[in-house]
Amino acid sequence: MRFVGAKVERVEDRRILTGRGHYVDDLKLPHMLHAAFLRSPLAHAVIGAVDASAARKAPGVVAVLTGRDLAEMTAPVEITMAFGAKVPKFPLLPTDKVRFVGDPVAMVVAESRYQAEDACELIEVDYDPLPAVATYEAALDPAAPLVFDEHGDNVVFSSESSFGDPDGAFARADRVVSATLRQHRVANVPMETRGGVADYDPGSGELTYHAATQGPHGLRMQLAAVMQMPLERVRVLARDIGGAFGLKGFPSREELAVAAASRAVGAPVKWIEDRNEHLLASGQAREETVEVEVAVRSDGTLLGIKAHMLMDQGAYPPVPFPSAMYTALMQMLLPGPYRLEGYTFDVRVVCTNKCCYVAYRGPWEMETWVRERILDIVAAELGLDPAEVRRRNLVDGEPEDRLITGLSLAGVSSRQSLERALERIGYQDFRNEQAEGRKEGRCLGIGFATFIEASPGPPEMRMGGGMFGGEQAKVKLEADGHLVVVTAQSPHGQGHETTLAQVAADEMGVPFEHVRVIHGDTNITPFSLIGTGGSRASTWASGAVLVSTRKLKERILGIAAELLEISAADLEITDGVIVPKGVPGRSLPLAQVAQQVYMAPGSLPPGSERVLEVHETFTGEGITGSGWSGGTHACTVEVDLGTGQVRILRYVVAEDCGRVINPAIVEGQIRGGVAQGIGEVLYEHSAYDEEGQFLAGTFMDYLVPTAAEIPVIEIEHLETDPEGELGFRGVGEAGAVVAPATVTNAVADALAPYGARVWEQYLPPYRVLELAGVITS
Amino acid sequence: MTTEIITLTVNGRERQGLAEPRRTLVDFLREDLQLTGTHVGCEHGVCGACTVLVDGAPVRSCLMLAVQAGGADVRTIEGLEENGELHPLQEAFRRSFSFQCGFCTPGFVMSALALIEEGGDLDEEQLRHELSGNLCRCTGYQSIVDGVRLAAQLLAGKEGAQ
Repeated sequence: MRFVGAKVERVEDRRILTGRGHYVDDLKLPHMLHAAFLRSPLAHAVIGAVDASAARKAPGVVAVLTGRDLAEMTAPVEITMAFGAKVPKFPLLPTDKVRFVGDPVAMVVAESRYQAEDACELIEVDYDPLPAVATYEAALDPAAPLVFDEHGDNVVFSSESSFGDPDGAFARADRVVSATLRQHRVANVPMETRGGVADYDPGSGELTYHAATQGPHGLRMQLAAVMQMPLERVRVLARDIGGAFGLKGFPSREELAVAAASRAVGAPVKWIEDRNEHLLASGQAREETVEVEVAVRSDGTLLGIKAHMLMDQGAYPPVPFPSAMYTALMQMLLPGPYRLEGYTFDVRVVCTNKCCYVAYRGPWEMETWVRERILDIVAAELGLDPAEVRRRNLVDGEPEDRLITGLSLAGVSSRQSLERALERIGYQDFRNEQAEGRKEGRCLGIGFATFIEASPGPPEMRMGGGMFGGEQAKVKLEADGHLVVVTAQSPHGQGHETTLAQVAADEMGVPFEHVRVIHGDTNITPFSLIGTGGSRASTWASGAVLVSTRKLKERILGIAAELLEISAADLEITDGVIVPKGVPGRSLPLAQVAQQVYMAPGSLPPGSERVLEVHETFTGEGITGSGWSGGTHACTVEVDLGTGQVRILRYVVAEDCGRVINPAIVEGQIRGGVAQGIGEVLYEHSAYDEEGQFLAGTFMDYLVPTAAEIPVIEIEHLETDPEGELGFRGVGEAGAVVAPATVTNAVADALAPYGARVWEQYLPPYRVLELAGVITS
Repeated sequence: MTTEIITLTVNGRERQGLAEPRRTLVDFLREDLQLTGTHVGCEHGVCGACTVLVDGAPVRSCLMLAVQAGGADVRTIEGLEENGELHPLQEAFRRSFSFQCGFCTPGFVMSALALIEEGGDLDEEQLRHELSGNLCRCTGYQSIVDGVRLAAQLLAGKEGAQ
C-alpha cells in the first residue's frame, strides 16, 4: 500500500479528541510553583523605585523578582545573527525603562497562580512617563525620544536595492501608477497562549524546560545563553502545542525568566500566559506600509516597480531573527511571477513603543498583498480587466524565466493556477451577474490574487540544503520490527506524526501502524535552529525521513541478503516482510531480522552491521519539480451598504504544492491560512492609540473570525509532478499569504462604482462605509 | 481565604474537592480533579475552549465558579469515550480531520455534543451560527462543520456514512 497521497487518518486525533493530549498547562510537577508577571501600564517610562515588600509578604508568595533582580542572575539577551540590523542587548526584564504597554517589570512566584496574581497587585512601581513613539512618523522624527538610547535613532535597519533597468523602465512607460498601501498590525493568536514549566534541578545542575515551542533547539540555546549554563545541561521538551503560527518560534523573555526563577527558588515553576497578556505582549505582526510606483504601458504591460517600505517592529527585536531578515524575503518576492524590466526596493525598519514584531504565517506576505493590490489598481486606471493585466505579464515557467531579483522561475505554474481559479469561480459569469446586480443596487465584487513561495525554492536557493543546511532525521528499527522516526520538526497542528510516518512506511515497506514519529526532546531530536517554520516540513523534513529510512533499509537488506543468501538487489520489503522480488521464495519478517540483530548478534555473519539506526542529513538531492509552491485564490463578495458588512459568497483556491502527502492535512493547512487572511482584512486589528496605549486586549476587541464568518473554501490541487519522489512542497503559509490580497481586491471591486480608493488592508464595517461614501470619516 | 467543600457529579462519578469561592470551575476541574482535557483559552468567556456540560447545558467553565457547580451533573471531554470506543461524535471528527492543534477541540466537542443531543435538523448556516460560540484558529471551520454533520448521520444510524 502506498500511504503517500492517501487521506490517512491522523495519529494525533485519538488523544486530542478524548482530552488526553499533553499540552504544557496540563503538566503538574511535584512542588511546582506558579509565576505571574506585573506589566507596564505605560508605553514608555523610566522605571524608578520598585517596592515589592508587601508582595513578598503576601500569602503563598515564594519570591518576587524585579528586572534588577533577574539582571543579577542572568546574562542579557543577545542576538547573534543581526542581518545588518541594529540590535540592543537587553536584560530579561527591563531595568531602565519600560518600552511598551505590557512590558513585564516584575515576576511573582507563588504557590498558586491566584496568589501570584494577587501579589502582583501589591508591587508599587514608580514610573516617570516619557513621550511614546507609536507611529512611523513619530519614529522617523529626529526629535523623537529614543526607544533604545544606544541606537542613536529609531531606525534599526535600512537597505536599498535595484535590479534590471528601473530608470529606463520608468522612462519608457506610458503611465506611472502609484499608491501608498498600508497593512495594519495583527497577531498570530493561537488558541493556546504562551507558557512553560521550568524545572531546574539544583542537585545535578540541570534544567529541564517543558515548552510550547516551534523550535526546541533554538529555545535551548537561548536558555543556556541567558542562564550561562553549558548546553548539555539544558533539555527542552515539547509535546502537544496548541497552535503557534510563527509566534512560538521566538524564545520569549518571559519563558527565559521562568527558567531563571526556577533556579532561584529551587523548584519547578509554571507560567501560563492569560489571553489579555497574550494579546498585549506575546507578539504582533504585519505592520508595514509600502509606497509603490508602477511603470506601465497603456496596454497593461508592466515595465518597472519602485517600492519604498516602512516596517514597524515595535520595541524589542524578535529573538533570534530580527525583523529585518523578513524584509529580504519581501524584496526578493515582491515582483512575483511577472515579467519586469526594472525594480527598486528600499526599506526602513523602525522601532516604536509597541509590542514586539514576530513572524506570522508567511511573514513576507506584504509582497503579495502590495503586488496583487497594485495590479488591480493599474487595471482600473487603464480601464483593463485585472485578469487580462495578469495574463499579459505572467511568466510561463519556461527554463529561462527568472524573478528580476534573480531566482529561476522555471516550472512555476502561476499561469495555470490563474486560469483554473478563474474558471472554477466562473469569472465571466460573475462579471455578468455583477453588472445585473449593480443595476439593482447590489454591491458585488470579485477579487483574485496569485502568489509564489520559495518552498523549498529553485535549485540555486537550496544548494547544500539552503540557508539552514538542510534537515536531519533519525530512523531506527526496534527489536520488534517497528520503526521509530525522530524528527527535528516541532509540530503544533500540522500532523507530522502522521505525514512523516506515511513517508517512512512507504519507503521501508511497513504497515503505517508500525511507524512512530518522535519529536520535541532535545536530548534525542536532531538539531534544527528553526524546528517547524517556513513551510519546511513537507520538503525538508520529509526528505530527511526519506533518505534516513532508505539508508536503514539498505542496511537491513544487506543483513537479510546474508541470511537468505539472496543478493540484496533482489530483495524488497512488503508489509513488513522481506521477500525476493518478483518470484516466490523464502521470506523473512523484519521483526525476525531485528530480533536476531538485537538479541543474537553473535549469530550474524561476520562483518554484519549491528546498529539498526540511521541519522542522515538531507540537503536537497533528488528534489523534483520547480521548487515553487504557489497558486491563485479567487473570491466573490457582497457588501451590505447599510451595515458595512462584507459577506464572502464563494472562495476558490487553485494551489500547487507539488505532490500531496495527505490531501486532508494539506487542505486543512490551506483553509486555516485562508481563514486567518480573511480575519486579517475584515476583523482583526492589534490597535494602539497615538500614545501607544493598547486598545485590543480582549477577544471582544480583537475579533477572531468564527464559523459564521468563514465561508466554504473550495480547493483544487495543481499537482504538477505528482509522481516525483521528492516533489513535496510547502503549503503551511500559502493561505495566509494570498488571502488578504484576494479579499481586499474583491471588496475594492465591489466598491469601485462608488469611487472608493482601497489603499489599506483593514476593512471593518465602518471603513467600508467610509470608502463607499455612506458615512464620512 | 476560606475554602468550601464542593460535591458534584463529573462524568457519572461523584467527586469532591475543596476550593476558594473565587476558584473557577475550569481551574477546579483541571487542577483539583486532574481533568486536564478541558482547556483554558481566554478566561473571559469568548473562545469556548473550556466548554463543559452542566446539567446538560453547555457552559463556559471559565465564567462559572466551582462553588456554583455544587450538586450539579458535569460532563467533560473525558467522559465521552466508552470502554475504549470513541463516541460517534469523536469518531466523526476523526474521520473528517476536523481539528489540527487540538487546543480548541474539547470545547468544540462539548458544544457539538449539546447541539446533537438537542436534536433538530440544522442547515449549513444555522449550524455555523450554532458553532460560532467556539473559536478555532487552525482549520477555517469547514472540517468541524463536516464533522458535526457526519456525527448526526452516524447517530441516525446511517451505515456507511462517510
